[in-house]
Amino acid sequence: MSFLQRIFLVCLLVLFVQHSSEAANYIEVTAAGNRLLKLAVVPPQPMGATIRPELANETAEVHSFDLTMSGLFAAERRDAAPLLHGLSLTPIDFVPWLSAGYDLLIRGEYELRGQELTLEFRLYDVVAKKLLTSKRFLGREKDLRRYAHSFSDEVLRALTGEKGSFTSKILYVSNQTGNKELYLMDWDGFNSRQLTSNHSINISPDISPDGREVIFTSYKRGNPDLYKRALSSNLEVPVSSRSGLNITGAWSPNGTRIALSLSKDGNTEIYTVAKDGSSPSRLTVSHAANVSPAWTPDGSKIAFVSDRLGKPQIFIMDASGGNVRRLITSGSYNVNPAWSPKGDKLAFARSVGGFQIFVANADGSGETQLTFEGNNERPRWSPDGRLISFSSRRGGQEAIYVMRADGSGQTKVSRAKGNSQHPVWTPSGQ
Amino acid sequence: MRNGFKGMVVALGVVAMMAAGCAKEEVVKKDEPVVQQQTVKQQEPVKQVEPVKQEEPKQEAPKQEEGGAAKASAAVALETVYFDFDKSDLRKDSRDVLSKNAEALLKQVADAKIQIAGHCDERGSDEYNLALGERRAKSVAKYLTTLGVKADRISTISYGKEKPAVQGSDEAAWSKNRRAEFVIVK
Repeated sequence: MSFLQRIFLVCLLVLFVQHSSEAANYIEVTAAGNRLLKLAVVPPQPMGATIRPELANETAEVHSFDLTMSGLFAAERRDAAPLLHGLSLTPIDFVPWLSAGYDLLIRGEYELRGQELTLEFRLYDVVAKKLLTSKRFLGREKDLRRYAHSFSDEVLRALTGEKGSFTSKILYVSNQTGNKELYLMDWDGFNSRQLTSNHSINISPDISPDGREVIFTSYKRGNPDLYKRALSSNLEVPVSSRSGLNITGAWSPNGTRIALSLSKDGNTEIYTVAKDGSSPSRLTVSHAANVSPAWTPDGSKIAFVSDRLGKPQIFIMDASGGNVRRLITSGSYNVNPAWSPKGDKLAFARSVGGFQIFVANADGSGETQLTFEGNNERPRWSPDGRLISFSSRRGGQEAIYVMRADGSGQTKVSRAKGNSQHPVWTPSGQ
Repeated sequence: MRNGFKGMVVALGVVAMMAAGCAKEEVVKKDEPVVQQQTVKQQEPVKQVEPVKQEEPKQEAPKQEEGGAAKASAAVALETVYFDFDKSDLRKDSRDVLSKNAEALLKQVADAKIQIAGHCDERGSDEYNLALGERRAKSVAKYLTTLGVKADRISTISYGKEKPAVQGSDEAAWSKNRRAEFVIVK
């Protein structure tokens, strides 16, 4: 957690209205079958002297986009007359919403004093005519989108018992400056900022489970070495600078080890090292290339890519290196393994001419193709498992896309010029 | 003398590549270690008739002034060598080029140290291509040592598909990007 985030937490006042016992099963009760819940998002109304409709509209757009992408809602912005005495004192008239077919309603209010922002959102059940949850934020105007995303997370928590990933960010690589540097953006592509600026080649980022530290491979000193840096710092610390490749670093789920590929002993083999790069332990022994280790969420196994049978294929082994077997058995060229947060699914990319994203069960069975258009690589799951980010080239430049875990709702989110690739979600709540 | 030598290398390289275009070679099986490359020199490789695949290169000789410009110092011309798709074994034309490069390294710049940089075309996965580029560079390094260049003069690096020699998404570009380049580092 950065210093600024600590400050933010100190300043931030969050009020939860918990309805947890009934909330966990709410969506099953309300949405029989797969019907999308119809959600009206009314832009928050001003409470003070400062009236900024564009800010109110922005939060409504955040909620509409987030919650539509969750796959549970048909969310749309709707304008409504302001509540005469504010959210707290004015009873909501649900009848017009009910007759318009809505299940749920988000209303809110905001107050701006200089840069100081107070923001409150409430989620109502239109059918049962009751408040489901509310959240109040006190901070700065620049935090507006983050607060809106935070309430989207809360809406999912209130309705499903599992919060969303909308406060997560996406780490990615962009060559917009002419060099491949690391960037960090909100999950929906807003607020992108440049992390590295060493004018070299920086690739394959991964973030620690606590969300604080990024590992990546950089050619900044000539060789492709593995570096580590805090999100809150510009200091890039070498982790592994062994002879040859130091690539495809992946944090273990408990944050104590890093799996990576090294070619110091000849072939490109998978090792684990401590997070400072010490105590290397070799996991693979083959005459082939072994790259892209992906820990199962429980840390017990590692999927990886090896061309020991000819073309690159996805294998799995124990985290200690034993019991190697092929995991994805169809397709001639499979790469980019990525486990779902619960470990029940594996996303990967398969070359079928260009690359496409597939998902299979944890044992490799039941594979499903999710993308069909353009060239699509590097799938990565959102922390709640509802979304998958990936890089896609669909004519023009390569960009970061996000889709639902079933492949629907494929949406370009990165806004940078040049090519954007290697998206990685940060843990939720960072 | 220098220009004459370079011209000869280019001419030989082009002829060799054209020859390679007539007979596609499968020299080293994938599971064999690169070490066994040295046997390749003495015996004629087994020619295999391969099914025509979309990914197979057209075997057009890369134009030297575009893709194969020697990256070495002006003192010596060390020619770039090229590879087939997803392969790190050396084609006959590449072995011919490496023979010339080894001769230059042994006679013209006998004290020079070189770095061999392995590269790939844009089609493979970028992470896997880093390993493939590494294997290409090491394959070239190994072959040079069998020709008498001391191993301690050679270092390798892989750029995967991060540094294409030419832009483009067709075989003409790909064939120029699947390569190993030589840089004199001392």
